[in-house]
Amino acid sequence: MQHFQFYSAKSLGDALRFLSEKGERTKIIAGGTDLIPKLREENSRPEFVLNILEIERLSGITELNHILRIGSTTTHAQLVESEILQRSCPSLVQAAASVGGPLIQNRGTIGGNIANASPAADLAPALLTLDAEVVLMSEKGTRVVALQDFFIGPGKTVLNPNELLVEISIPLPKGQTIFLKLGRRQAMTLSIVNVAVCLEMEGRNCRNAKIAMGSVAPTPIRCPQAEILLVDKEIDPELISKCAGEAMAMSKPLDDQRAKAWYRVQAGAVLLRRALLQAAGLRNE
Amino acid sequence: MSPKVNKTLLKMVVNGKAVEVMVNPTWTLLKVLREELGLTGTKKGCEQGDCGACTVLLEGQAVNACLVLALQAEGKEIETIESLGTPECLHPLQKSFIHHGAVQCGFCTPGMLMSAVALLRKNPNPSVEVIKRGISGNLCRCTGYAKIIQAIQNLSAFREEMIQATRD
Repeated sequence: MQHFQFYSAKSLGDALRFLSEKGERTKIIAGGTDLIPKLREENSRPEFVLNILEIERLSGITELNHILRIGSTTTHAQLVESEILQRSCPSLVQAAASVGGPLIQNRGTIGGNIANASPAADLAPALLTLDAEVVLMSEKGTRVVALQDFFIGPGKTVLNPNELLVEISIPLPKGQTIFLKLGRRQAMTLSIVNVAVCLEMEGRNCRNAKIAMGSVAPTPIRCPQAEILLVDKEIDPELISKCAGEAMAMSKPLDDQRAKAWYRVQAGAVLLRRALLQAAGLRNE
Repeated sequence: MSPKVNKTLLKMVVNGKAVEVMVNPTWTLLKVLREELGLTGTKKGCEQGDCGACTVLLEGQAVNACLVLALQAEGKEIETIESLGTPECLHPLQKSFIHHGAVQCGFCTPGMLMSAVALLRKNPNPSVEVIKRGISGNLCRCTGYAKIIQAIQNLSAFREEMIQATRD
């Protein structure tokens, strides 16, 4: 690895001060599961690596006034074990449990999964259907960005070099949430396609629908044209198939080393159909 | 000529013993354990967190030592495979692995054992499904996993010893 200097921030203020001076030349490390392999690459040469794992303020899951707040250094394992999340956002728990394996889940963080901004990021589709917002802080102030607006391309986000992703906030969801992932194996696999849905049902009638997909576009995406097909409608398998088809029509998948684009379109539609049927109560797992 | 690297003092507790070692900031915990502390039981496999050969317990959590920068372990407690029994007095898990034929080349074994220790501390009687998930970050090219899973599941012969050992 190219040489860098290591600094462990003792507090949030400490980290923000560091980033305001040196942010452009710094890589932030939390779990390191994405960063450390990248640091081994020739063209990665940060001058500084800033460790944020010692900042207590950044970890933990709380609920206040119907808003869930998840600290950015909360690990995937902590998301999986969280009773609040198991009760209120099962899709986020399912997504976290699908990332890597236990060793990766014990270190990798929600903030890292988001900030790394892989189009295949597994937490992203779940968070998109939960209307998640990210809280970004710098010495100059705080801004809150809807997750939809946070990703701008593969590995690219609106995070400024002087900013730190501090927290993810999620309004307590009202519907059934499901996350499904297709990979080449059952663990330790990047997604070929991943989907998340949130359906608010009243009997067979859908009051509200949110659909998101990953690995089928330059960023994880919501599918509003597909969502509209379900709102205020009686849900049945035929409508769900139509909706899944519409969502795939919106996607822009690529051929890559994991799968061809045509396969992603077909498999994505299957995954979406299953997720929607499950969320609508028309299918058991 | 490359500039002189300033090393930093790292203090941590490894297998119950306080250690101090001068480290280069780019070094991983894996490198420090093996090359500075001579604890070569933890293996270097892929160095990307894909194979689990480098599994250690960090504050009781099973992690890939290749994905921890050494300086991130400042002040932390590390347990490596060397903490699991001795050649004269094997840990019950090690006895079970041998009894079930779960060791062939042995390269994955330290990592498998550390993942198993972490799993059993949380879940002393795991089902086969739970065991599979618990070792899903550890690759084995030799055994086909079946005997490893049996060794972890069928600890009853070594059960009493196991309970005693995990309490220590």
